[in-house]
Amino acid sequence: MRIPGHRWREGLLTLLLLSPGLAGFFGLFFYPMLLTVILSFRPEGKETGWTLAHYARFLGDPAFRDVLSLTFSLAVGATVFSVLLSLPLALVLREKPKGHRLFRLSILLPMMMPHLISALGLLLFWSKRGWANLFLLTVLPFLKEPVAVNYTIPGLILFYVWLFYPYTCLTTLSSLEALDRSIEEAAEVAGANRLQVLWHIVLPLIRPGVLAGSVLTFMMAFGAFSVPLVTGGNYRPLSVQIFTHATLYLEWSAASAMAVVMAIAQVTFLTIYMRVLRKPIA
Amino acid sequence: MTLARQYVRSILNAKNLLVYSFLLGFLLYMVTPFLITLFNSFGKGWYGMRWLPQGWTLNWYKWAIEVADIPVIMKNTLIIAGLAVAISTLIALPTGWALGRRRIPSKELLTALILLPRMIPPITFALGVAKIFYGLHLVDTFLGVALAHVALAAPYAILVLSATFEGLDERVLEASAVCGASPAQGFFYVILPLILPGILSSIIFTFTTSYNEFTMTLMTYGPHTVTLPVRTYLAVGEGYWEVSSAMAVILIIPSLFILFLIQRQLQPEKLVGGFKGV
Repeated sequence: MRIPGHRWREGLLTLLLLSPGLAGFFGLFFYPMLLTVILSFRPEGKETGWTLAHYARFLGDPAFRDVLSLTFSLAVGATVFSVLLSLPLALVLREKPKGHRLFRLSILLPMMMPHLISALGLLLFWSKRGWANLFLLTVLPFLKEPVAVNYTIPGLILFYVWLFYPYTCLTTLSSLEALDRSIEEAAEVAGANRLQVLWHIVLPLIRPGVLAGSVLTFMMAFGAFSVPLVTGGNYRPLSVQIFTHATLYLEWSAASAMAVVMAIAQVTFLTIYMRVLRKPIA
Repeated sequence: MTLARQYVRSILNAKNLLVYSFLLGFLLYMVTPFLITLFNSFGKGWYGMRWLPQGWTLNWYKWAIEVADIPVIMKNTLIIAGLAVAISTLIALPTGWALGRRRIPSKELLTALILLPRMIPPITFALGVAKIFYGLHLVDTFLGVALAHVALAAPYAILVLSATFEGLDERVLEASAVCGASPAQGFFYVILPLILPGILSSIIFTFTTSYNEFTMTLMTYGPHTVTLPVRTYLAVGEGYWEVSSAMAVILIIPSLFILFLIQRQLQPEKLVGGFKGV
């Protein structure tokens, strides 16, 4: 039997051990976030008073609504195309073709390089004078002018896919490899052709993994900052707007409101992600 | 069938061709941005519309080193990364120990809270951090920028170290005590070797996070604390593509080195969730 005082002291020691981490969390994250929330309710440039004007802008100002729809469409587009890329890739890699180790490592490449550097490389490669257009002009005889990829919406989605599809691909690959092959073999024995096995057996079984990965990709694309900053051109999604409103226009209150909206959105997506993770194979 | 005919047969096998060209296309899609950056950093008079530059030069690297002050910037980046690693590790050691080995109510919730700064785009709370630092005169100081990095690096370190400490089997320690080891010997000969890999990987993650960090640095930096990522961004903004390419190459050499070092241990499929980039 434990002496009551003992437990009290144990708890105190635990709290003491946790204190640096808690201090860091509160000082470097929670308190800044709190300041941002408070600032978002203040009139621009003032230290006192409350207003909902900055949030009302999201409903009233068409420019702000456009920002939201831009951010969402980029994220949705990136997610959809990431899934479209990841599924065939995972299915192919599962068969372990020659050099599949190299391919698996190259999936990690976008995750390990700073986004800024990748953005620079993507800009160079896909520019009107870059290798991509050089190749297209050589190969497609009907093309007279270089294709504009940089600073366009499809180009931006192309970049986002390059950067964020690994999150989808990795979970897809791991769900795929966790599959028991005997189920597919049983289906083939029962008379299904390869396509039917794929459609009716494999895809439904890996759905949770693909879903989890695509939520991750969506979150990354929604919160992307350095990439649209450098490659967005005239298109400025929410994160870039937060930055420009704070540092360029010096409208810290408006920027804070946008930051709060973004934070709430991301926490929502995160909750969805956690829910998806808990789902058993449907 | 002769070997040659077998080869030709297999190459012409339509499905194989499709699969391999898809894989090749994918590999090119992935690798070309880095290739072209590399070439651009060494190219002379390459204004596009050619596969290769007209000449090769080290001018851009020279420019980066002499005019853009890359050595100073590299020094800044490393100092800040060192500070960030030190502070993060100091925070993570006791916190990770508590999370890994002590009884804590709602441990899951606490862990999720600690990981929150990595789950939300840094720009959302970077504003608040900048405001606080302005008040505390921490802007444009090594400590300030390092602290901003700690916000993002410490959660990693705590996660890794809590897993490391959780995996520490105290029975090994008991066995060593039974064999006659003093507490000090127990620590240095038993515990330390067991936790060293975990501490090492936490240091590597923290260092990489701080070294590559851009968003937080952008909000807390000043003329004395320009880091490599920020300088590269400024060079791109100035329109100096070739110099930016040179800076980019300089920047990613450590990341590539680390990737090469750990690629044996890595199973890419297991590495998912919670690994947000810059």
